[in-house]
Amino acid sequence: MSLRAKEYYRASSLEDAYNKLKENPKNVIVGGGLWLKKTGLEYHTIIDLSNLGLDQIKEDKDFIYVGSMVSLRDFENSPIINKLFNGVIAFGVREVMGPAFRNIATIGGSVYGRFPFSDVIAALLPLDVKVKLYPNQEMSLNDLVNYRGKLDGIIEQIIIRKEEGKAFFKKVKTTALDFPMINFSIVNRSGKNYIAIGSRPGVAALAYKAMEEADKGNYEKAAEIASQELQFLDSSNISKEYRIDLTKVYVLRGLKEVNE
Amino acid sequence: MKLRFYLNNVEVEYEIQPDEYLAQVLRRNGVLSIRIGCDESACGSCTVLVDDKPVLSCGLLAAKVEGKHVTTVEGIQEEANRLADYFGDEGADQCSFCSVGFALIVHALRKEYKNPTDEQIKDYIVGNICRCTGYQSQFKAIKAYLKEAK
Repeated sequence: MSLRAKEYYRASSLEDAYNKLKENPKNVIVGGGLWLKKTGLEYHTIIDLSNLGLDQIKEDKDFIYVGSMVSLRDFENSPIINKLFNGVIAFGVREVMGPAFRNIATIGGSVYGRFPFSDVIAALLPLDVKVKLYPNQEMSLNDLVNYRGKLDGIIEQIIIRKEEGKAFFKKVKTTALDFPMINFSIVNRSGKNYIAIGSRPGVAALAYKAMEEADKGNYEKAAEIASQELQFLDSSNISKEYRIDLTKVYVLRGLKEVNE
Repeated sequence: MKLRFYLNNVEVEYEIQPDEYLAQVLRRNGVLSIRIGCDESACGSCTVLVDDKPVLSCGLLAAKVEGKHVTTVEGIQEEANRLADYFGDEGADQCSFCSVGFALIVHALRKEYKNPTDEQIKDYIVGNICRCTGYQSQFKAIKAYLKEAK
């Protein structure tokens, strides 16, 4: 099973890409193209954004701007990203497959896909992240993750607010190249705790009640609440009960680490 | 559609389908050193370098290499031969299906890190699967090779 398409189009601008996308409901924007292959779906035109300069990471005083075509490898190696939250966000992305895979996969594709197993989304979700979509939309990463249906726009940039704090990331997996059985991303930024848990097997979500409890300094209770407030299910390689037990352990460990 | 790129520093032009991946295109045009193992971007056997960066050719749409430099094992033959000696010394090669991918990933590792730590070596080769030997022998061979190749 592989991707099928009739045409390949190298866009000359975002406007050009957007117009091409709107021409036919079977046209598709390609990021790295890795997951597109696995879908085995049939498209009319593949639209490539490679020539639009979206492979840059820039910063100003308050924000980091990550172009949607930045590869996961360039993201994890970026000195700008490595300065962020003691390098843990870069570490989370580094957990995805090997470097030859991450040289292809893009930040934009990873976010757009809203994959339940995504380490990228889990790593970024506890941060203040906005997603800029061409032509004229901006939404928080959390809103995008929870958005149901097809996005009307092209992901242009991921905008990360720079904040002081510490982060913890844990991917539980059976082998080095495996999808996560569950992943945890816990961040203390500007004095507040944020807890994201992914691959439950649902896409990463914030545990709001647990976050409130953590802000009171009750980390054990927060870990217990996190294991109750989000939905955990069985998968072929891990039971619901084991996911819940892991949540209690790693949320507590993460909260202690980021609040030391 | 036509695709032009540099294959081991020689400009080539191939006729491709818009939905073809690089591994298929290279093999169809006689580059049989490309090994397609899983064909799901998971095993590393099909590794090539695009503009000196390692990528999985079974996971990269061929059209994306327009104008770029693609290096296969033929482009690093001397280095691959030297590495093969170290693999042989450590018993790191049995069926050799994975060895081309290893040669290219080790070449990229050497370019990226002057003195890689054990952890950096392991992180770099994690995406290259060998079903014969169990990795310790490759790891030892790569370490010995990198020491010699400095």
